[in-house]
Amino acid sequence: MSAATIALLGQPNSGKSTLFNALTGLRQHVGNWPGKTVEKKEGSFSWQGQDYEVADLPGSYSMSANSDEEVITRDFISSGKADVVCILADSSQLERSLFMLADYAGISVPCFLILNMADVAKEQGKRIDPKVIEEKLGIPVMLFSATDTKAYETFYQTMERAIREKSQLNVKALEQEYEKLDGYSELCAELSDADLAGFTPMWLTVKAMEQDKVVTAKLRNTLSSDAIRTMETLVKQSQGAIGTGGCKFAWIDGILDGAVTETKTKATLGKLDRIYTHKFWGKPAVVLTVLLGLLASFIPALPIMGIGAAWAMLKEPARAGLTAIHCPDIVSGLICDVGIQSIYYVINMLGFVFGVTLVFGLLEEIGIMARISYVFDNTMGKLGLQGKSVMPFLVSFGCTMGGAAGARVIDNWGQKVLTIALAWAVPCGAAWAIIPMLSTVFFGAWAPVIIVAILLTMLLHMWITAKIFSRGLVKQEDRCGMIMELPPYHKPKWGALLRYVFGRTKDTFFRVLKVVLLVSVVFWLLSYSTSGVESSFLYKIGVAIEPFTKLFGMPWQLFVAFIASSFGKEGAVGVIGALYSTGGSLYDITANGAAIEDINQILLANVTRPEALAFIFAITFNLPCIVALAATYQEIHSVKWTAKIAAYYTVTALILACIAYHIGLLIW
Amino acid sequence: MIEMDELLRLLQDGNTRTIEQLAAELQTTEADVRRQLEFLEHIGAIRRVYNSCGTCKSCSGGACKSCMPQNAELNMGELWEVVK
Repeated sequence: MSAATIALLGQPNSGKSTLFNALTGLRQHVGNWPGKTVEKKEGSFSWQGQDYEVADLPGSYSMSANSDEEVITRDFISSGKADVVCILADSSQLERSLFMLADYAGISVPCFLILNMADVAKEQGKRIDPKVIEEKLGIPVMLFSATDTKAYETFYQTMERAIREKSQLNVKALEQEYEKLDGYSELCAELSDADLAGFTPMWLTVKAMEQDKVVTAKLRNTLSSDAIRTMETLVKQSQGAIGTGGCKFAWIDGILDGAVTETKTKATLGKLDRIYTHKFWGKPAVVLTVLLGLLASFIPALPIMGIGAAWAMLKEPARAGLTAIHCPDIVSGLICDVGIQSIYYVINMLGFVFGVTLVFGLLEEIGIMARISYVFDNTMGKLGLQGKSVMPFLVSFGCTMGGAAGARVIDNWGQKVLTIALAWAVPCGAAWAIIPMLSTVFFGAWAPVIIVAILLTMLLHMWITAKIFSRGLVKQEDRCGMIMELPPYHKPKWGALLRYVFGRTKDTFFRVLKVVLLVSVVFWLLSYSTSGVESSFLYKIGVAIEPFTKLFGMPWQLFVAFIASSFGKEGAVGVIGALYSTGGSLYDITANGAAIEDINQILLANVTRPEALAFIFAITFNLPCIVALAATYQEIHSVKWTAKIAAYYTVTALILACIAYHIGLLIW
Repeated sequence: MIEMDELLRLLQDGNTRTIEQLAAELQTTEADVRRQLEFLEHIGAIRRVYNSCGTCKSCSGGACKSCMPQNAELNMGELWEVVK
């Protein structure tokens, strides 16, 4: 026969399990609570010749009936199986963890309070005086570290005192807080005769106001129908859980007043965070960070481009070799102009995929991405969007399809459509591979300037698009705020980061290679003709539409590539690869008949810089790809809006191309 | 101790704030804001937002190997929104 049963009550992470294990050692058994998947841990220990039973109640936030854990906890305590309840709180954050005690107040089973993890609190510079707390609470209170074996003797004594004195929590101050709530006193009077063993009218009133389902149901069974009606009216008029919760926190603050002294100075924002969260400087700081990130991506990209250049040198020797073994023209053309050339472009693109993924993965790892997202979050509100939209935008830097699917977290349909419409303006991973590559080909060392221009255009594009689309999609009252906890800065985990970067680069390589090769073969064949390039099908059409395409500053070959980019940006590279290649195809004729060895030279000889600029802007801001289009439809379920967005992007891409072309003409 | 109504009102005005900013605006401590957020989450007044790309099965819980480096969601900060 045991002397007493002790129930351990505390929030998760209050150190309950450590205490339970230390108390019971091997004398414990673990099972399940009847009918529940919640673990049931019971055990026993001896102290001074007496046996004690211990029940480790499941960790729960409070005594409300919100979860299985909470219901089990409450039922166990109200069943009277425990002689004393040992309430645990985390000393290092008492204002938070005493909530359990506040919610327990009003239950008549004797209890005592263990301020656990005293060592952590001490490290944080907190000095806690348990005597002050004990005086206010009227129950035994002790500072404790469940990991400190020497502390257990005091624990036993505290426990024994609580059992002997049947110590009850002094709830007078808490009740005074509750009395300030509208309807509390009336309801409490109404419930004063309610016969629910183990719970005081105060506790029942508070739970009724919080609309606790179990308590409300039990009260309905015991009260008269008049009383039930009064209760329902009073509860409806009350502030509910927000009101009673506020009272509990106020009471906790009262308990801690004079009992806790903190020597540590208040934590302040770091220098970097002060800039990022600054009302005015936050935005420029973030834009600058992203820009520097993109420029830094060039550094790891350049060596890979070197590999690409080396690969391209294989082209002419390969062609010579194939001619020597009397390989048919069309086969050697396919191998050299399509095969080798496509791979050359893909390798060059990979350099940037690698660079961009690495740099942005790193920004994410060290915690800067969260700041970026925070700053954009705030801007979102002004565009009529929720802060949640920022994530689809960030994902769109990788893949627009992911961005569209990621918009699923936005419940409001209008905001979801607007988010996806804007996410399309964010250049995707394929664009970030192609733009830097083409920029380097045409503009050399000026390529970073093009990147900056693209990024600034993107911001302007998104702002204008939001203005155009938000009318009719988003209402003022749909807006809601967000709370964000910024993570601390930390060192990157290089191993995980590099695995991710290499994995992603590898995935991109195979995907891009397939598209580029396929498109390249199709267009090379379309432009192939034994009787001279002028008689090929594609050439004829191309020349016919050129007057139109020139309006947007693009020769017909680039325009065809632009059209192909609607299906997938990589496709554009395939088209360029096929239409601007040496050997029996379109362009060694125009370039003064001289054979040009270098692939880049062919492009430079046939495309002017303004034309290239127009093309780069056109494909960047064209609709992302056919899959993104499908994903958009899947998310917004509207043919009308999907078509609207797609048409809008095609038109704006051409307008941007036109503007870029004319700006280019002014420069070069 | 601040009135929780006031906190909820701030959370619905369309702005994003960090916990530090909330504490400053409500003239209280970060610990106070944090415990109230925890409470509001428990009573279902606010909820945590889990971001995912939604395109792959593996990222329903926030983590997605091909969209973000492993455990990247932990570096993105925690987000809550008001339940309407």
